[in-house]
Amino acid sequence: MDHAEVVRQKLTEQYLLHELDSQQRDEFEEHFFDCRVCALDLRLASTFIEQSKSLLAEPTDTTAVAVRIPVPVETAGRFAWLRPALAVPALAFLLIIVAYQNLVTYPRLEQALNRPQILPWASLNTRTRGGSSPVITVPRGRSFLLFVNIPPDNLYARYIADLYNPAGKLEWSLTFPAASAQDQWPVQVPGADREAGTYTLAVRGVTATGESKEVGRTSLELQIQK
Amino acid sequence: MLYWLPFRGLRGKSLQFESFDDAYVERLRAGDFRTQEHFVAYFSDLIQIKLRSRLRSQEGIDDLRQETFTRVLTALQNGNILHPDRLGPYVNSICNHVLQEHYRAASRDGCVNPEDGQDPPDESADVFALLSAKQTGEKVRNVLDKLPERDRRLLREVFLEERDKDEVCRDFGVDRDYLRVLLYRAKQAFKSLYFNGIDNDPPAAALA
Repeated sequence: MDHAEVVRQKLTEQYLLHELDSQQRDEFEEHFFDCRVCALDLRLASTFIEQSKSLLAEPTDTTAVAVRIPVPVETAGRFAWLRPALAVPALAFLLIIVAYQNLVTYPRLEQALNRPQILPWASLNTRTRGGSSPVITVPRGRSFLLFVNIPPDNLYARYIADLYNPAGKLEWSLTFPAASAQDQWPVQVPGADREAGTYTLAVRGVTATGESKEVGRTSLELQIQK
Repeated sequence: MLYWLPFRGLRGKSLQFESFDDAYVERLRAGDFRTQEHFVAYFSDLIQIKLRSRLRSQEGIDDLRQETFTRVLTALQNGNILHPDRLGPYVNSICNHVLQEHYRAASRDGCVNPEDGQDPPDESADVFALLSAKQTGEKVRNVLDKLPERDRRLLREVFLEERDKDEVCRDFGVDRDYLRVLLYRAKQAFKSLYFNGIDNDPPAAALA
């Protein structure tokens, strides 16, 4: 490995950020064990990172700043509604609302949640390229299930699934551990006011050292039931 | 070829320069204390950095480093080091062998990932924490203080909280190049401060 190339490509930084593949990493290690300039550079960068960890862990001054924020002086006009003549009826009204929610609304919601239900679902193969996307039809605001198939790979310690909406914006990310015996993962997608269209699910594998690589990408067609 | 003594040597004494040549290897073989001290200090740091990217437990790193030194010194005694100027790559290759044996042994024990089930890295036992005492910490603080708040938070998320780098970059609206360049600039600033603090050995000499 040429020293000029190491400098030009910022391989020291890439190495410490775990961005090199295994072959590049081996070649760079072979180089810095032999090159005193790169060895020094690597030590400095590594020392900087290690020291930074403890310094960045220190609490910042934001707490102190928050404490110093002056409390607004109460004025009779702005807080006039706090007078007992107004505050007591308002408090009573709020108590009625709270009681209604606790006695009526929440029990109904709880009952609905505890009742078994069949959810719309689709099966997604992350390593299948091309082909038609599965179609899933859901009532607006309802949740649905995705069965995500990921062929097991011992390279990875965990997977991260990212769901992108039709506009290409990330909706959510889900991290789950890699297990050699499991290749299908049921994922419940929470209900939301989603638009119809093609959603993309990208799955990344993350190694024990933190290296991340996309292992598959697939899409599904979401239709909203009228 | 001259080699710079690692930071550890700065404690209580000035920088020393050593050349990896026939004379160095001969002194090492003869058991010269200062040469052995230099050898272990210089390569300890490099082996530590190398193994830290692969092993999670500090105990495992220490064991493999010790085994690497034992094998290199045995090879020295047996006259198996034929190219003293290639001592560095030789140490690296021995370390690779030790690492492969570690993986095989872990695999035999039924652990698919040799690091599964082991303790997370013990950052407090990091060799750099021992050698970069208060002055080094102040220089790093100096560099961090001059960074914009966003860059400080970026470094914090990546190195302290060890979040997924792609996610962090996405959250901060930057790409991976930005992160790389940020680390590069911080390192250069730290390097400049570090060598400015050394009176008796100018940086040019260290890098010559």
